[in-house]
Amino acid sequence: MKEYVLLMVSAALVNNVILARFLGLCSFMGVTTRVDAATGMGMATTFVITISSMADWAVQTFLLEPYSLGYLRTVTFILVIAAAVQFTEMTVKKVSPPLFQMLGIYLPLITTNCAVLGVALLLVEGRMSFISSTLFAFASSIGYSLVMVMFAGLRERLALVDVPRLFAGPPIGFIVASLLALAFMGFSGMSTS
Amino acid sequence: MINPADSSTDFSAPSMNEGLAHVVAVEGNVVWLEPEQTGSCGGCAASGSCGAKGIGTMASRLEYRRFKIDNEANLFVGERVVIGIPDNALIKAAITAYAIPLATLLLAGALAQWRFGNDLATMAAMVTGLLVGLGFSRVGAGRLLTQGDLAPRFLRRARPGEVCNQP
Repeated sequence: MKEYVLLMVSAALVNNVILARFLGLCSFMGVTTRVDAATGMGMATTFVITISSMADWAVQTFLLEPYSLGYLRTVTFILVIAAAVQFTEMTVKKVSPPLFQMLGIYLPLITTNCAVLGVALLLVEGRMSFISSTLFAFASSIGYSLVMVMFAGLRERLALVDVPRLFAGPPIGFIVASLLALAFMGFSGMSTS
Repeated sequence: MINPADSSTDFSAPSMNEGLAHVVAVEGNVVWLEPEQTGSCGGCAASGSCGAKGIGTMASRLEYRRFKIDNEANLFVGERVVIGIPDNALIKAAITAYAIPLATLLLAGALAQWRFGNDLATMAAMVTGLLVGLGFSRVGAGRLLTQGDLAPRFLRRARPGEVCNQP
């Protein structure tokens, strides 16, 4: 149990997908103008990363490893991610068409989100069991969502303050993002003892 | 020093998440609207040159995302309008669509791992949990729809050249 908790804390905070591994930066800067939009994007990404990592683990364990097809890993994972996004789209549309109309905008953005592929490749490198890899993927995406929502909250406040013209807009956003990354570096010294 | 937020922000106004759409058909008292494609930057007017629309996904084909509203503003085909949904609606919708199935998936996986300790059994339990969660989502979405939380509302006609997130 303890190892699962440590794995999840490590994936979500210490090795945060955005602020430590620098993956998914396009959506980090692009979809964080409002907290609710960032929350929607975060939840959609969490769902897709978890589902696709499960599928990627199965493909890696039952297809790529036994037949020594490791050189096809990246291409295969891209296909699996695209299929997971399609599956999510079709499922949400089937479950509730109004939900699909409201949330559909986030799904195409996930297809081009490098964090999804990055997490899948990381869990293969880690040679984890199925439950560990699923929890690792889930915790990584929770870390992604947490940073998205935090940054969106900061940007909503930034929109209300009198920023010098030179720094207004993206420049002050990058400065805030770097301060947030520095703050997250504090987690790297955590000890379990 | 005067904080601009004090004079320009009305916190008592109901907050809406705004988006742009254009009228594609008028049927009696109802108009069909098609949302404008937004990239990750929210720049709808520049969507023609945007590369972040998704590749071959259903939601990137806008005709799949058409919706209808009452034509109270006497709209015509081709007009651009600003539509809105309440701020909380998006979060409620995301929880219903994604968080519920994910919670049941993880719960089923954790229970199977604790009970059997086998990867294949855990995988089967997670898929079952996902399906059960999707059933719950369907019920939750029906409830949201009945309450009217998912219905977009007409706010105003769009100004020429107006893009998303423009103050």
